[in-house]
Amino acid sequence: MRWRLAIITYIALWLTSALAAYEEFHELLTFRPLSDGKLAARFTFTTSLNGTHPRDPSNLADEDQSQHYTVFPLALGQVLREYAVTELHLNLNAGKWDYDHWGYPDEPGVGTGAELWAWMGESATRSVDERWKGLRNALSGQFCASLGSLDDQRTTSPELTFRPEGSLPSSGGAHRLRHGTLPSEHVCTENLTPFLKLLPCKSLSGIASLLNPHRLFDTDWHGLSVHVRYLENEGIEVRLSFQSVFDPVRYTGGRRAWSLQSVFDRVIDRSCPVARSSEIRVAIPKEENNAQITPDFHNSDGEHAIFDVLNASKPLDVAMNWVNESAFDYNTVLSGVPLTHISVRRTLKGSSQSRGRLAVSITNNMPITIQTSYLESMPWLLQFYLHTLQVHSNGVSRDDLVSIVSCIPSVPHARPTLFQAILTLPPKSTLDISMDVIKPFLRYTEHPPDAQRGWDLPPAVLVPLLPANATVLTDHPELSLSEHKMDGFGYPIRSPRRMYTPVLLVDLATPDFSMPYNVIIMSCTLIALIFGMVFNLLTRKFTLVRVSSEP
Amino acid sequence: MSEKQETETIPPKDPSKLTFESAFTRRRILASYWLVILLAVPLWWSYTSISRLSLPESRIQALAGKQWHSDIRVHVKSNVKAHPVDAVVSDVARLLKEDLKESEGVSIQFVTDSKSSADTYEVTLNTNVERASLRGRKLTIGMLPDDDAESIESSRLRLASVLRHLLVPPPPAERSNSPQRVVKYSPRYRVSFTLLNEDSASGKAAYTWDMQQAFGAHLGPTIDRLSPLHNFTVESQVQFHAPLAFSPKAVEHEGKIVHGLTHEDLTVFVNSAEWTLSSAVSNDPVLHFVAFIPSKEHDPLYILDDEGHPTTSNAFILPQWGGIIILNQHQPHLNMFALRPIFQTFKTQLLTLLGVADLPPAGIQLDNNEPFSQWQFDALMRRRTMENVEESRDTLLSIVKLVNQIQNMPVGKDVKGDVLGALNALEHAFEVGSSSPMKAFKYSAKAFILSSKAFFNPGNLGMLYFPAEHKYAVYTPLFASIAAPLVAAVVREFLAWKKARREGLAERPKTD
Repeated sequence: MRWRLAIITYIALWLTSALAAYEEFHELLTFRPLSDGKLAARFTFTTSLNGTHPRDPSNLADEDQSQHYTVFPLALGQVLREYAVTELHLNLNAGKWDYDHWGYPDEPGVGTGAELWAWMGESATRSVDERWKGLRNALSGQFCASLGSLDDQRTTSPELTFRPEGSLPSSGGAHRLRHGTLPSEHVCTENLTPFLKLLPCKSLSGIASLLNPHRLFDTDWHGLSVHVRYLENEGIEVRLSFQSVFDPVRYTGGRRAWSLQSVFDRVIDRSCPVARSSEIRVAIPKEENNAQITPDFHNSDGEHAIFDVLNASKPLDVAMNWVNESAFDYNTVLSGVPLTHISVRRTLKGSSQSRGRLAVSITNNMPITIQTSYLESMPWLLQFYLHTLQVHSNGVSRDDLVSIVSCIPSVPHARPTLFQAILTLPPKSTLDISMDVIKPFLRYTEHPPDAQRGWDLPPAVLVPLLPANATVLTDHPELSLSEHKMDGFGYPIRSPRRMYTPVLLVDLATPDFSMPYNVIIMSCTLIALIFGMVFNLLTRKFTLVRVSSEP
Repeated sequence: MSEKQETETIPPKDPSKLTFESAFTRRRILASYWLVILLAVPLWWSYTSISRLSLPESRIQALAGKQWHSDIRVHVKSNVKAHPVDAVVSDVARLLKEDLKESEGVSIQFVTDSKSSADTYEVTLNTNVERASLRGRKLTIGMLPDDDAESIESSRLRLASVLRHLLVPPPPAERSNSPQRVVKYSPRYRVSFTLLNEDSASGKAAYTWDMQQAFGAHLGPTIDRLSPLHNFTVESQVQFHAPLAFSPKAVEHEGKIVHGLTHEDLTVFVNSAEWTLSSAVSNDPVLHFVAFIPSKEHDPLYILDDEGHPTTSNAFILPQWGGIIILNQHQPHLNMFALRPIFQTFKTQLLTLLGVADLPPAGIQLDNNEPFSQWQFDALMRRRTMENVEESRDTLLSIVKLVNQIQNMPVGKDVKGDVLGALNALEHAFEVGSSSPMKAFKYSAKAFILSSKAFFNPGNLGMLYFPAEHKYAVYTPLFASIAAPLVAAVVREFLAWKKARREGLAERPKTD
């Protein structure tokens, strides 16, 4: 009887412990040859902490539970729990994503510079803004990036564009979004090193061993991102991702052929022992049938060749070759049609340092009417004159195509503008939006060290929405705007297709920085002159001097 | 022509006859200018001076001379004929007095009434020499029953030595020649446990561990016991790749090649650049406990003695940092059974790092299953109290010294508040010092926290960036150009007044 009880207790204990601390780590590397001969590579490292919840913000005053992790990064877990963050997205990118030729990116956050957004529950003890500030500073220390400067002057709450990608816990208070961008932040090795330290296998084994900073930062576009989300009934998921666009034509001198060795200068020698799955997927080009992938892949889902790194013979060097292609023909690129539903251009016109005109031109590449949301989260360095907003569709004024959802005007030195609108794009046409902007004067101390360079303005973000008449979709399934993609582990990626415009550079009036001293001297001279004149008049002694008059 | 005639006929008005041209008016104008300047000086002073609130210097100085001491009351009961209580007490008191230094801040009193207060220690002497036992604040110790002088002497010496080790353990620095191992006092520590695989891909690794259960079983009671002194945040992680920054030496041992760590290697063992052990979210000091699993290449890994031979010990303490244990035998999953010796070692290391003194070597046993005795806890609390008192007193004195030394250093409201708070707590600690050790400790901890907060207040650095030279550079263009006519006017008026007076004096005899 006793031993039976002991066994039952033991099994129960084992079950609870197995259920409570159920952590998984998956790694995935995806390659996608692009239409202009480049190669997009995306590393995804997914760690899931099953059976847990984000910290409830209402108990922030109480002692937190102990944190015990196996593959989940402790350094990140501490930050998440300290500030009770439900969902977090951090992107650090460099370069301009070319939507027309590269299509939609695998990770949607491709805006140049740093972008951080988080969903946090409200709490009576520590406000969302206070925690947002702490989170910024903690991540800034964690990733060696200047995220601390994403202050109130750059923080907005664009809930229309940045929807939660996971689920928000129903318990606790309402959840709030905080979003900030820092376009002048540049990603480099100092950000990659702390990023690698969050991985269970660092860059020493498995797919992560391919992360060679010398090659990753020598690409046309590169960016790292950290995504934390909570999936109801599952747990907390951390997705660390590195995305880059290589140019194999440059490496090989004219040919598109690539291999792990030629792209990363490394091959996979050994697999990460704690990875539940470890895959390399190579997209098979649809229209070209002369593409050849070596070695023989283990599996295929029709679109991708799948290599299982855990069971593959090592060293593993995946390669792709185009048979009978001696040199890549760039002419096909020039004639190609844009790969995204819409194409966006944004420019800042006007040469003066006090005013200008912001122009956005959006082309609908589809034969159907598309709606898209449009977000400008502009620091007060550029102030909009909303009444000058003009909308033209193929040269005809069409104010009805823009409906403004919200506009929170900026407060100089304090708050950015938040402008959200829904645009309706007629089929195969271009919508031109423009409005006057003024460029304010900055305080002497607000100028950065390289003041003459100008200020980088954050990208505008567009999210194509479902077409107005959804019946078209049944005839053209390829037009589907929302992605229903699985990420390989059965988790749906509910990421909408956000499109970021390139950043703008604005030239603000810059003072001569010896100015304060000149002003002091100038005003002192004036005051001394006035004072001297008045003082002299008041205290001068007038006397009569008799001049002996000569006859 | 007619104009000329007019000017000749009407004599020009003498300006000195105008009301506003009188010397008196002019001097009054001049005086009012100076008056405005003089009145403006205090205003200017208050706007440009750095706010330096006065600190209670005399009270702080008064504390400087005070010697901290706490009273320990011991009640002795004897069941041994050869050792009557009075004789034992007088002998032991004399021996302890010789041994204890003034700087240890403790005075031991022997009382006859055990019910005087709850924290009186009770010592019972009996004849069971083999075994001494501790239960709560009670010590039962055996004395030799023989009544020859030699055995009486040795028994009492032993008792005195045991009491000294239990009540006032000598600081660890004196016991071993290692540097100060005990961490500085902090109200909260992060205790971080790491299962560190040097290279898990090499095939020799432990991937998971039953850390939470092992912690609860082996360290939970210790942590609970220490909770009146410190709060603890416990966390754990597993790392799968933690390369060493050096290559361990290969040595031959019992016919096999093993790898060894010399004493120099131990000091640089922690590869902080590659191991992510540090915490990012708080400033609380971290105590690291690392179970290190060497890679296949460095297996087995031993600690070498001075002659280069492997030792049996596989764990070591890095002073004020934490403890490390090297695991050469293990399974991929470390279960409770495998973790038992590891967490026993971690427990010893934790106690050493936190300053819990060892029991005296005289074969004393703990009666119940406590992690350590009440006597050890009390001794630690007394030591922490004294350290905190001394530390916060030194900090307060340094603040006063610094403020007096650097004239440009601002002293804000918060700094003054913290200094006052620390001072009050410190004075309270001195007041209750001998009556209630727990209260004294709480006050001393408060004084320690507040005084370091005041010392490291960022506001203390505020205005150091505006040296006097800069001020003068900004002021001279205005002040010099305004002061010149003002001073010149005063001089001119003074000369005119002297001249007028001399003329007046010269004229007077003429009129007489």
